[in-house]
Amino acid sequence: MRKILAIILTLAMFGAVLAGCKKEPETITLKVWGSQEDQAMLQEMIDAFKTAHTDANYVITLGVVSEADAKTKVLEDPAAAADVFQFANDQIVDLVNAGALYEVTRNKADIIAANMEGSIEASTVNDKLYAYPSTADNGYFMYYDKSVLSAEDVKSLDTMLTVADAAGKKVFMDVSNGWYIASFFLGAGGKLTVGEDGKQVCDFNNANGAKAGEAIKAFTAHNAFLTGEDAVLTGGIGTTIAAGVSGTWNAEAISEKLGENYAATKLPEFNMGGTQAQMSSFAGFKLVGVSSQTQAPVAAMELAEWLTNEENQIKRFETRQMGPANINAANSEEVKANVALAALAEQNQHAVSQKEVLGGYWVPAEAFGTAMEAKDYSKTIQEMLDEMVAQIQG
Amino acid sequence: MKTKRRKFSFSNLAIYIILSAMSVVWIMPILWLIMTSFRGEPGAWTPYIFPKEYTVANYTRLFTETGLFNYPRWFINTLIVAVFTCVISTILVLMTSYTLSRLRFRGRKGIMNIGLILGMFPGFMSMIAIYFILKAMGLSQSLTALVLVYSGAAGLGYFIAKGFFDTIPRVLDEAAIVDGANQNTIFWRIILPLSKPIVVYTVLMSFIAPWVDFIFVSVIMKDNYNNYTIALGLYQMITRENIYRYFTQFCAGAVLIAIPITILFIYMQKYYVEGVTGGAVKG
Amino acid sequence: MRFIKNYFMTFAAGDIITKISYLIMGAGCFLRGQIIKGLLFLFLQASFIVYLFNFGLGQLKLLPTLGTATRVEVWNEELQIYEYVQGDNSMLILLFSVMTIIIILAFLVIYHLNIKTAYNNQLTKERGGKLNNMIRDIRSLFDSNLHVTFLTLPTIGVVTFTILPLIFMILIAFTNYDQSHQPPGNLFTWVGLENFRNIFWNDPLQARTFVGILQWTLIWAFFATFSNYILGMILALMINKKGIRLKKLWRTIFVMTIAVPQFVSLMLMSRLLADQGAMNVLLGYLGIGPIQFLTNALYARITVIVVNIWVGVPYTMLITSGILMNIPADLYESARIDGANPVKTFTRITLPYMLFVTTPYLITQFVGNINNFNVIYLLTGGGPLSLDYYQAGKTDLLVTWLYKLTVNNQDYNLASAIGIIIFAISAAMSLIVYNMSSSTKKEETFQ
Repeated sequence: MRKILAIILTLAMFGAVLAGCKKEPETITLKVWGSQEDQAMLQEMIDAFKTAHTDANYVITLGVVSEADAKTKVLEDPAAAADVFQFANDQIVDLVNAGALYEVTRNKADIIAANMEGSIEASTVNDKLYAYPSTADNGYFMYYDKSVLSAEDVKSLDTMLTVADAAGKKVFMDVSNGWYIASFFLGAGGKLTVGEDGKQVCDFNNANGAKAGEAIKAFTAHNAFLTGEDAVLTGGIGTTIAAGVSGTWNAEAISEKLGENYAATKLPEFNMGGTQAQMSSFAGFKLVGVSSQTQAPVAAMELAEWLTNEENQIKRFETRQMGPANINAANSEEVKANVALAALAEQNQHAVSQKEVLGGYWVPAEAFGTAMEAKDYSKTIQEMLDEMVAQIQG
Repeated sequence: MKTKRRKFSFSNLAIYIILSAMSVVWIMPILWLIMTSFRGEPGAWTPYIFPKEYTVANYTRLFTETGLFNYPRWFINTLIVAVFTCVISTILVLMTSYTLSRLRFRGRKGIMNIGLILGMFPGFMSMIAIYFILKAMGLSQSLTALVLVYSGAAGLGYFIAKGFFDTIPRVLDEAAIVDGANQNTIFWRIILPLSKPIVVYTVLMSFIAPWVDFIFVSVIMKDNYNNYTIALGLYQMITRENIYRYFTQFCAGAVLIAIPITILFIYMQKYYVEGVTGGAVKG
Repeated sequence: MRFIKNYFMTFAAGDIITKISYLIMGAGCFLRGQIIKGLLFLFLQASFIVYLFNFGLGQLKLLPTLGTATRVEVWNEELQIYEYVQGDNSMLILLFSVMTIIIILAFLVIYHLNIKTAYNNQLTKERGGKLNNMIRDIRSLFDSNLHVTFLTLPTIGVVTFTILPLIFMILIAFTNYDQSHQPPGNLFTWVGLENFRNIFWNDPLQARTFVGILQWTLIWAFFATFSNYILGMILALMINKKGIRLKKLWRTIFVMTIAVPQFVSLMLMSRLLADQGAMNVLLGYLGIGPIQFLTNALYARITVIVVNIWVGVPYTMLITSGILMNIPADLYESARIDGANPVKTFTRITLPYMLFVTTPYLITQFVGNINNFNVIYLLTGGGPLSLDYYQAGKTDLLVTWLYKLTVNNQDYNLASAIGIIIFAISAAMSLIVYNMSSSTKKEETFQ
């Protein structure tokens, strides 16, 4: 009797072991952060990902954290950060320094080949790739009213001012803003770099910088110059404003206001002490990163890659009019036909990476711009530039 | 008062004029806010003052278009948090200020001094510290956490209430003790009913706090969208990408916030009684 | 020192039961018949020991170095990725160590209570008295010991949400937690007084900025506090006056303005007063050129004070209203009989009374305005920015400047250090004024 029992028990054990051996699909949980406006689109992309990947059971939750806030939210509590999140490229240095991003090593060559050079450069820190490029449209350019300014007029800043003034309208640019004012200095050949000791090095007060400074002074002193925040531009374009510097986030509002007269182009050339110099700008990208504390790195990377592949970048353009960083996607007819994106692409040829701009740059630059807007000439341009650079370099 | 012959007083007339003028000045920005909330054209800035079109759509869209901005949900969240915060804060403040005003015990002066200076440290890192403490307690990203954050340190706000309690004459206490009450009874039966104006003030202040704060809730809630309170939610509407389309809705949302607070105040005005103490002692 | 000596003396004077309670908490109670109280003490002791061994000691051990293990990368060939082994997180170590220290201190308080109870019980027994049972203890909590009952909850709240974060922040000022030392990727460690040395010995531009901003901060705090206070009081007096009708209406109108969240109303104000804002459009109709309310340094400062009046008067009106109503009417009666006119009544009766009751409030308001982040930041952003200052503008307060430094440069340690200095100044001023003022001196006589 006992012997039979022993055999039965052993058989039962084997059975249990065999049953356990049958491959169960594992469950992988991932969290994704995206901006509010992207939620519906991201959900579709995520659902497509799940259908395409049946090797495991994916549970993917979507949370709302805008690209601008991503860095703050991640650094507040890195352990609670999403596995995959969207962020703006100017945050990458801080994120890498805090060790919050997972280095991209899988399919690295493919990613580099598929996306624009500028976007890869923006995703690379210390020669290591840390993010997947998603969009290439976070820069700025010039919108203008076709009924007032012609395509020829908008090639030169001086011409624009004269024509607008004659029509009783304004040219808008938020000069008291380090992001925009840099276009003059960078266009004059100025450089913002990070030195060996980790401190900012800025040469905006050299001879070229001084000429750029004079140009800014002339610009802000002109009767047709108008400054303010975005709302002023979108509120006044078409009526009191003939042209303004802004980015793709206002494309819809401005095209609504201008209707048939909607046009956009790269930034004009400005008068730098006699010669014409092209206004430069900061190149902006939206990137997708993987949290370094994710529990499922391989899955997270696959998801990140999926969200930024060519197909989904095209989808992003179609749903949200966001310019792709993927080379093929960006070369499509539809993208080229988009007025704002075309202008941005043109301007991007003269754009500069924002990676080496440290936090201490913004306030002094804005202070200089504010003084110019207030027409405060109590000091010479050179003096002001010297002070500005001294503060930037800390 | 109704039967007295109404005296015409120049000083009263002058006061009416001044009050009206001041009211107009004070109300103007609010009126502008209300006007903008009914504006039909989108955008955050217009080169003119009066809207060209008026519409109620901004208000209705807040409640119907909840895909992007879930206003009703935020409203309820904030209401819940506000009610609980209000109750807890008021209890804590009243307990603290009464104790420090009326009871004598060792260390009282010390506690008062410490309480005075504790709130003076300007710190932004405290938010991060509180977030982790709450996380260690298992409460992160919840409405409970928010209530605790808003009402936890309420005891520190004791000065005003204490100053008020100080003005209630001791004779009342003594009379009560003679009648056989213990300290606890004195608090609930005698002092509290006399403190209505200050209770109203405390209730109102602690009720308002959750409606207007967006910094703390941003740190506590992070990405838990469903638990956002109204201030944080509204703040999302005026980001660079959204402001053109949603500014007028934002104004509508802000106007709606003012309503429960104003209602609460109107309701509590009943308790603003005049010259109470004078009557009680004389009697 | 005498305090510590007492422990030894009590031990010596104690009988065997008291001596046992030094080791096993609660012995002095349940061995004498106070079962519930004794078990409570024992339970607390057990939980404390469990906490220490499971968590507390681990954190404290790392406190001196704030963590030494950095993140380790291991290349995983098969998955083609680096695998990370997380290192120590300096910030969490600091926070949890402080928490542990506070818990230890709280436990010591309870321990002290334990000894005291044990010894008192012994003395009572020796005198032949009966020990309180639980019910009598609870009763006394509502009478002579009411302060204990009433203060327990608020104290716990304050310790957890204010004191703990405060100590944490103060300690950060002594570390090098700045933009190049961000956890969890990097560790930071103690650097002692180096941050403070940097502030005082640093370049003249920073020193000039600090002085300039400090001056404006004090001027602003003074005007903001007193303008609100006086105007609020006058407003409350006007509304409260006998013979004025519609009191509720007037009050409600002013309360409505605080019902709208500050960030909304301030944002509106900054739009209204912008160079192309509605205010200037209106002035344009009247033929007056645009006034740079917010972009001219001097005008901006005036505007800020005026807007702050708009924001703050409803609050001060509410408070002063409540207190005004409590002024015994007979005081006013006798003054009227003596023939005093309104101004005299105000200066001789109302004002002194108000000042007495609200001195602590005024002090907190003044200090609060020194640290009034919201109004300045939301209205002008601290602008107009100026190259005269290091990373600051002409309406910046010390706090907003601090905020900009932290947010722009992520130098939390520098921010904490400056914060401590601000705190030290404010606290010293407040304590001196408060303790010197008649409020505290005449507290008893007033009641």
